[in-house]
This record gives sequence, structure tokens and C-alpha cells, in this order.
Amino acid sequence: GVAPLGQLTLQKEHQIQFQLMEATFYHMPQPCDSERLRNYLQRQPVQTPPHYPQQQLPHSDTFEFFQRLSTETLFFIFYYMEGTKAQYLAAKALKKQSWRFHTKYMMWFQRHEEPKIINEEYEQGTYIYFDYEKWGQRKKEGFTFEYKYLEDRDLN
Amino acid sequence: DRALSGPTSYIHSGMLQARTTDVVDTDGFAEKTEHLFRHWVYTYHNEMNGRDPVKYFGSFVNRMNFLGVLKGDEQLTKFFTIATKMCIEASYRNLADTTITQAIAKTKTYHWIDAYVRLIALLVRHSGDGSNSNTKLNLLNKVLGIVVGILLQDQEQLHGANFQQFGYQRIFIMLFLELSAHDAILENISVGVVTAFCHTYHMLRPANAPGFCYAWLELISNRVFLGRILAMIPQQKGWFMYSQLLIDLFKYLAPFLRNAELAKPVTVLYKGTLRVLLVLLHDFPEFLCDYHFGFCDVIPPNCIQMRNLILSAYPRNMRLPDPFTPNLKVSTLADITTPPRICTNYTAAIQPASFKKDLDSYLKQRAPVTFFAELKRNLQISNEPGSRYNIPLMNALVLYVGTQAIAHIRLKNQVPSKQTVASSAHMDIFQNLAVDSDNEGRYLFLNAIANQLRYPNSHTHYFSCTLLYLFHETNSEAIQEQITRVLLERLIVNRPHPWGLLITFIELIKNPEYEFWKHDFVHCAPEIEKLFESVARSCMVKTNN
Repeated sequence: GVAPLGQLTLQKEHQIQFQLMEATFYHMPQPCDSERLRNYLQRQPVQTPPHYPQQQLPHSDTFEFFQRLSTETLFFIFYYMEGTKAQYLAAKALKKQSWRFHTKYMMWFQRHEEPKIINEEYEQGTYIYFDYEKWGQRKKEGFTFEYKYLEDRDLN
Repeated sequence: DRALSGPTSYIHSGMLQARTTDVVDTDGFAEKTEHLFRHWVYTYHNEMNGRDPVKYFGSFVNRMNFLGVLKGDEQLTKFFTIATKMCIEASYRNLADTTITQAIAKTKTYHWIDAYVRLIALLVRHSGDGSNSNTKLNLLNKVLGIVVGILLQDQEQLHGANFQQFGYQRIFIMLFLELSAHDAILENISVGVVTAFCHTYHMLRPANAPGFCYAWLELISNRVFLGRILAMIPQQKGWFMYSQLLIDLFKYLAPFLRNAELAKPVTVLYKGTLRVLLVLLHDFPEFLCDYHFGFCDVIPPNCIQMRNLILSAYPRNMRLPDPFTPNLKVSTLADITTPPRICTNYTAAIQPASFKKDLDSYLKQRAPVTFFAELKRNLQISNEPGSRYNIPLMNALVLYVGTQAIAHIRLKNQVPSKQTVASSAHMDIFQNLAVDSDNEGRYLFLNAIANQLRYPNSHTHYFSCTLLYLFHETNSEAIQEQITRVLLERLIVNRPHPWGLLITFIELIKNPEYEFWKHDFVHCAPEIEKLFESVARSCMVKTNN
């Protein structure tokens, strides 16, 4: 380095500043400090080998990208990344694939066939749903999907 | 340093009260408050699960009322002081717990802080009636002041070198995010909220709270904060405030950077600063343009790249002609007649008032010559090498004289050129500074000129002509060598390079009238010679085609 104006001895106050800064240098802020608390998937920074991807793919935060993900991946994102943009995009992608969210059971349903009954209040028929406790898709026959439990916000 | 009126006064009173609040609990108020607050944290996580707290908030306010917390200022201050201290104590207690990992220690602490922050946000939002923003902002400022007071006390007296920044950082960032939510009432007070946080961060600037400096940089460069203060507040009202925070940062770094001995803790902070500047250069170039003068004033002369980042900024709607275009006629560009916007009051730095008066009178009458003795007396402030000169005065003087010169040339219906900048009161001053200064003074003077070589505008054009004129008109190799040095040292660093700087340097080495290649200093050492040749090759390459 160069110091065109020559060296200056640090003043006492600067030395004190440096000492406090050096002490705090050993406990730096971490990304999680300024983010909402994550219940699952907390950040765990580790040194990864340089030949591994260090960054996410470009455009992986777009709706188009999420549409290419498997249904199970979308369910994983939905349940394990609560309150994030990823959750929003996953929900949007699931809706696009005709999955509907049931706000009482907190599960996603998809018509297996045309419902047998459709009226103002509900529809009834055979549905596929994703069971987040057993972590898998299940079929339910003769299920009544009441529209008051239908999550119908416009995700735009 | 700011007027102690309006909301700011609440920060200060909160800060002072937090530092003087007695812990002696005669009436059991503190104990009851602790109990109450603990109950809120429990309810927040267990019963409402962080969702829809408004119902619980109502009954909580009733409990607060019952306890007398809302009776007056004193009780309210006590409540926030106790609650803040409980959160911070949790952070130290959890970190000291050897049975849990650090990540768990932090998570446990954030349980306290996130619940507390939500409570503050709700109290702010619901205080006063809906339209009364003063009550809300006064309360917010009060709470922020209390946290500041506790932080400073913690660092100075309580923990010293064992001070932990993350608890405070969490309070500030989460509270800011809470108050930036989409909500009509909060959006009504958003300017006041940003202002309150700006004052808070200014009080916690690294010079005041060095143990908080990394968290502080995180806070001021936070995505949401940056977006709010630079983009969402109308009429760029946040720009000045944000420039003050950056100046706080540069001022703190300056003594460490100017010695060029970068210890690890300084390097990390410096790198963070560069990243913030890069973000600003990319997203808010006009902000860097407007405040470049104030920034250059506090950045040490040897921080070439840091300054280049600021000087390379140009308005986004502008197209810069490629400096390497052969026969580029700068004087024909339309932009060079437009003055740049300078949002720093640099004229105010020309002190004392009597000196400013004499300066103006010299510029008008080109007399008396005794003015130059006065000039020297005012610029030289000590005899200690390396700090002989009043750098802000030098910078202000150079820009002021330059702008006056441009106006003067305009008045004669001319445009700045090597001919029109010559023989005037303005050029007298510049030539005097170039000839009669020692190396240190001349270096600072030439740097002050080079700081104006930016995107195409009237200042860039004028100072480019001036620098070339000074090079041409002197018989002193020393001056020419120093001009070359100042230009070259700003070009041999990594990109970005300011447009005006490149233009000036290319003109110097290309135009035969400067006889650049005949100078001894160009050939003083083989590596310097090689350097010039490689710079020349990159500058000339298109002319040969």
C-alpha cells in the first residue's frame, strides 16, 4: 500500500476505536440476524468446495422456474419455507396446476375426476390431496370440499 | 449537531433517561413489568403463534394500563428500558450457555426480541388516534432513544470488549421491517419512520459505537432500508440523510485507511464499504453524482478506487461517448455546457468570512497581490508533514473558483477552452497554488481538480482544460510530473475510471503540443516507461486502425 501523505500515528481515540472494533470482529453479524426466524431450514453456513455451485441458478426466483419444479418440491417449499417469496411462488405454481388449498385441513387438493355434485356451497367427488404428515399423495373418495374453506386469493 | 426539536428531541430524552434510570425497585414496578413482558413473549409464541396479535394486544394494553405503564412518560420509559434490557440480557445469557450451540442461542434470543419488536410496532401503530402521526413518531423516537442509550452504556461500561452487537442489530432491523409493512397507517408515517432510524443510526455511527460497526454497516446497507430511503421517499428527501450516514462511515475509516496499513478488522469493513458503493453506483448513480463533493472531502487521498467508484457515477439517462474514439471533439458535446448538480454546500467551507470576502474581491478586481499571502495562511493549518493543509478548504476553494471562472467565461459569450481559461483572476489563483505550494499542497490541489473530472458536464470540461493548461504553461518538470502522477494513479487501479479523467489523460499523451514523451519522468525507470507504453497502447489502439 501507499500513503502519499506519509504515515500518521493514530490518535488515542482511534486506538480505542480499533480495539473495540477488533473485539467485535470475532462475532460478525450473520445473514440470519437480519431475517425473520426460520422454523425449519435454518441457515447453516459451511465452506463448500469451489467446484460446487456457490450460487443459485440465475432466474431461479421466477414463476417460470417454479413451474418446472416437481409437485413434491413445490409442497416441500410450501410447508418448509413459510412466509417467503419462494412459498408464494410455489403456491402460485401449484394453483396453475389446478391444486386448491383447503384452509381448514391446510392441505392441497386436486380433482381426480369431475365432481359428482357441484353447487353454490361445495363440490363433492374424488380428490387427490397431499398429506404433509405422512408426506405423500393420497386419494379421497366422496370428499366434500366446502367453498368457504377454499383459499381463493389472487396470487398476483 | 442537529437541532434538538421535534421527534429528535424524543430520541435524546429516551437515550438520557435509559442511561440514568435507576434499577432500585422500591414500588415493585420493575418486577411487575418484567412479569408482564415475559407474559407477552410467552403469549406471542404460544397462543397466537406470531399470527394476528391484535386481539391479544388489546388485552395486553389493558394489563399495561392496570399496571400504570401508560400513566405517564416516566413509567413508559421504565417499561421500555426494562423490556430492552431483558432482551439484551437474554442475548448474553444464551451465548454464555455452553450446553447449546451458537445458532440455538441466537434463535432463543430472537424469540424475545421478535416478540418485543412486534409489541413496539403495535404500540406505535395504535398510539394516538389514527390520523395523529406525531404521537406515533414521538413514541417511536423515544423507544429508539432508549435502545441507543442502553447500547452505548453496554459498550462503554457493562461489557466493553465483550460487547455483543447482534441483539441490538436484531431490534433495529426487525423493528424497521415491521414498520415498513404494507399498512395504510404505517405508510402515512413512513417518512417519519425513516427519519427516526436515520437519526438513530447517526447517533450510533462507528466513531461513537465502534463495537457496533459491522452491525451498523449491515443496518445502513439493508435492502429494505436502502430502498425506502433512496427510492420510496418522494422528492429525494432521504438522500441528504443517507449521505450523512455514508460520511459517518468514511470519516470513521479515514484514519485507518490513510496509513494504508490494513489490519483484518479494517479490511472487512472497507470491503463492505466498497460493496455498498458498488450497489449505489449500479442502482442510484444520481445519488453518488449529487453528493460526490461531500464524499471526496472525507475520503483520504490514497483511497483511489473508493473515490473512483463515486466519481464514475453518471446520470442514467446520459450516454457517454467512448473516450477512445479517435478525434473525439469534447468541446462539441452538448452535455458539457450543463453544470452538474452539487448538493453539498461547499461555499460554506470557505472560512473565515473575511477570507471569502477577499477571495471574491480578488476574483472581481484581480488585485491586490497580497491576497496570495492570505491564501497561503488560510490553507496551511500546521507544520506537521502530512497534515499541513486544510483539505476541505482546498477542495471548496478549487470548486468555487472553478464555478466562478465558468460563469466569467460565459459572461464573455465564450466556452471554456485552453485559450479562454488563461489569464484571469481565477487562473492566477490556480497557478499560484501550483507554483508556490510544496509537494504536499500541490498534490492536494491537483487532487481537488481531478475530483471534478467526471461525466460530461461543464465542470468536467473546465477542469480538464485547466489541468492541461497548467501542464502546458509551466516550465517546472516537478509540476508536470505531479499532474501526470495524479492522473495516472487514478487510472492504473481497477475499473471503473471516471470519463473525464480518461479524456484528460488521453489528450495529454496524444496531443503533440504537450510533448509528453519528451519529459524525463516518463523515462525515469524502466517499469514506469513500460507502464506508460501499455497505457498509451490501450489509448491509441483505435487511432492506428
